[in-house]
Amino acid sequence: MAELFQTTVRVFWKKEGRIKYISHLDINRCMARALKRSRLPVWHTLGFNPHIYTTFALPLALGYESECESVDFRLTEQVPMQEVVDRLNAVFPEGMAAYHAAPAVQKPEAICWADYRIIQEFDHIPAEQAARTLSDWCARPALPVLKKTKKGERMVDVKPHFSVQGVEAQNNILTLSVRAAAGASLNINPTLVLDTFAAETGTAAGWQRVVRTAILDGTFHDFR
Amino acid sequence: MMEKYGTVCVKKGCCDLLRNVKKDLERILLQVQKPSRYTGGELGSVVKDPEKVDVRFAFCFPDVYEVGMSHLGMKILYALTNARENYWCERVFAPDQDMEQLMRERGIPLYGLESLDAIGEFDFIGFTLQYEMSFTAVLNMLDLAGLEVRSKDRRNLWPVVVAGGPCACNPEPVADFIDLFILGEGEEVNLELMDLYLVCKKEGCSKQEFLRRAAQIEGIYVPSLYEVRYHPDGTVAAVAPQEGAPAVVHKRIIRDLDKVFYPENFVVPFTQAVHDRAMVEVLRGCIRGCRFCQAGFIYRPFREKQEDTINRNAHTLCDNTGYDEVSLTSLSTSDYSQLEPLLNGMLTWTEPDAVNIALPSLRVDNFSKELIDRVAAVRKSSLTFAPEAGTQRMRDVINKNVTEEEVLRTCRTAFEGGFTNVKLYFMLGLPTETDEDVEGIVHLAQKVVDLFYHLPDKPKGKGVSVNVSVACFVPKPFTPFEFEPQDTMENLRRKQKILLETVRSRKINVKYHDSPTSFLEAVLARGDRRLCPMVEYAWRSGSKLDGWNDYFRMERWEDAAEVCGIDLAFYANRTRSYDEIMPWDHLDYGVSKVFLIRENERAHQDATTPHCRNHCAGCGANRLLGGACFG
Repeated sequence: MAELFQTTVRVFWKKEGRIKYISHLDINRCMARALKRSRLPVWHTLGFNPHIYTTFALPLALGYESECESVDFRLTEQVPMQEVVDRLNAVFPEGMAAYHAAPAVQKPEAICWADYRIIQEFDHIPAEQAARTLSDWCARPALPVLKKTKKGERMVDVKPHFSVQGVEAQNNILTLSVRAAAGASLNINPTLVLDTFAAETGTAAGWQRVVRTAILDGTFHDFR
Repeated sequence: MMEKYGTVCVKKGCCDLLRNVKKDLERILLQVQKPSRYTGGELGSVVKDPEKVDVRFAFCFPDVYEVGMSHLGMKILYALTNARENYWCERVFAPDQDMEQLMRERGIPLYGLESLDAIGEFDFIGFTLQYEMSFTAVLNMLDLAGLEVRSKDRRNLWPVVVAGGPCACNPEPVADFIDLFILGEGEEVNLELMDLYLVCKKEGCSKQEFLRRAAQIEGIYVPSLYEVRYHPDGTVAAVAPQEGAPAVVHKRIIRDLDKVFYPENFVVPFTQAVHDRAMVEVLRGCIRGCRFCQAGFIYRPFREKQEDTINRNAHTLCDNTGYDEVSLTSLSTSDYSQLEPLLNGMLTWTEPDAVNIALPSLRVDNFSKELIDRVAAVRKSSLTFAPEAGTQRMRDVINKNVTEEEVLRTCRTAFEGGFTNVKLYFMLGLPTETDEDVEGIVHLAQKVVDLFYHLPDKPKGKGVSVNVSVACFVPKPFTPFEFEPQDTMENLRRKQKILLETVRSRKINVKYHDSPTSFLEAVLARGDRRLCPMVEYAWRSGSKLDGWNDYFRMERWEDAAEVCGIDLAFYANRTRSYDEIMPWDHLDYGVSKVFLIRENERAHQDATTPHCRNHCAGCGANRLLGGACFG
């Protein structure tokens, strides 16, 4: 098992443009096909239905773009890491681009935080006003948000798990830098928080773009 | 607005009517189910610079993305058109209800998935007519594109609205909406048509002049150039060509399948399509001559591809797409004469690459142990067989040359090979069918169940499941049953009840198709152009994705028929005499009417006709080849 873990490669890639509408499940299938096209010596599962085994450390919500996605798979032969990147880029569809590959260092459970850049376009109010309303809303002692999961709905106070770290308002465009809890134990979807904010204060954006900019471990270092 | 008839803007880039919907989509896509159906950008999709192309073609499939993306013909013609540097073919599918509503609310026109440009100003809008129930979806898509649905109301040269596919063999029920139909196989004629269009566009021709010239291309049918007269009893009296159009339009075929274009790459959908895999075509046409089967006649003559061509096509496609399954596609793949060597050749690379070979159309009479082992070599697929009828007499009437012993032997082979799930297809309401024939369907299924439990080496620890799927028979043009009445809905419902009452085992699961849909199919399949107003009325009152039971409402069609003064039974339930002029008799698909009449007579004598390899039945399709089909 130790040997197998050593051959696990983690490829970092970006998901940008219209491919943001492709769900996690579909990206999974797309990645398996890309690996097949790349002709990289990828390990297949054994059994009646042999298939490529991939792991995505932190699934991305539908509609989000990302500068820091990762996918893990095992290689059965030594391949230079740059070659892994190049061969994937040669066969990726529009909007997917690999930029780094290395043997996996951390386990996905190490992930604690993720950073996002959120750009909101307001149709009826100036961005400045939305920014002030948001800052007031965030200053409340508690921020209860209804979180829907497969197990059902529950209220979560996101106050300790969500922070706006940067705000820029220009005309009707508001750009936010947001940090939110991420990972298997508690994952806070920033649009869920912003949707709650919008519903409670009537500050809904006409259009928004969300880009995941970093995935961090418990010590705020990049997930490796 | 551009000049309608005078000077012509050849390069479309200068035209500001070409609206891009990208920004509009951004605001709605997260509100709809499966947005990936509407974004494009899939691997293998072809994006060109609009400034550098002369002809833009919107290939429209009148159903949702998952269905359309499974269609091989579209993949072939898409790649073929895009192989021409100055032509650009894009894909367009029918939006589902939620998406359509948002598009209409926000004024977003129908667009091509590659460019996200509105298609209303494209040069061609082409529909593939795969089934009659998609006719209203065609109208709906024209409307979503911002176009008039009637051909005569679209005065500009472009977009030229064209249609092909199996339902183009009787296009009369949609003749008012489509400018021209492409009959037969499109690989050559599509490009000839686009070449002519480019010339006409540069010359500044009117639409009328273009259509007149197009009608001179073999395989092109321009319905507005034919005048149809009727007898007082409602049957067709004469079809008169106008303005030099040919009296009979012959369908096009590709003579040599080894030389014809085949795509090296497919657009690989992100979301799962109905058939999400690589596909290679092994043959065209069919040697069998099942008398109910339209495909078996309209795709004649029988032509095979060479084994190494198919193997090469399959390998290239799997390498370029990354698919882990490839299907050997045809009307009857087990009739392919080189199947064993082909499978052997393919296994040399499919096994190491973990690629599964799917054989979708197998016959029960030549399904061997070797074949089953090969199919199961990488992964086990499900097994489906189509005995079509429950009794031997009935199978003889429809010329399904399969015996009960063969069905049982095949199931035995399947069970011994480890399969415990068998699906059997049947039809209800076949000509001359009796209640005994209906009960025979369930009796045959019961014999399959009994067979399983009497097998000494049946798969351990598992029960058997026999799924019986029963469709209603729809008489189709260019088949020996084109003269036959369809069973009435009442009688079909009665027979469905008999089916359920005959079942004695919980291992048998009977499913049947809805009879109103089949009735309407029968009307549209053999209709004439007087049905056009009814189709339009049904669409205007809300019919659009009629192929989907959730959206289909028979009442809309009944209302439409009443308003338009159409007697639906006249088209569906009437016996047509051999000398009646059919609405499609001026179209030639190779098989002669004399042959169809001969086969119809034999059906009524319970007499079979041997398949083409055994004995040439003289259907007439070999005229298109200019020689015999075999030897």
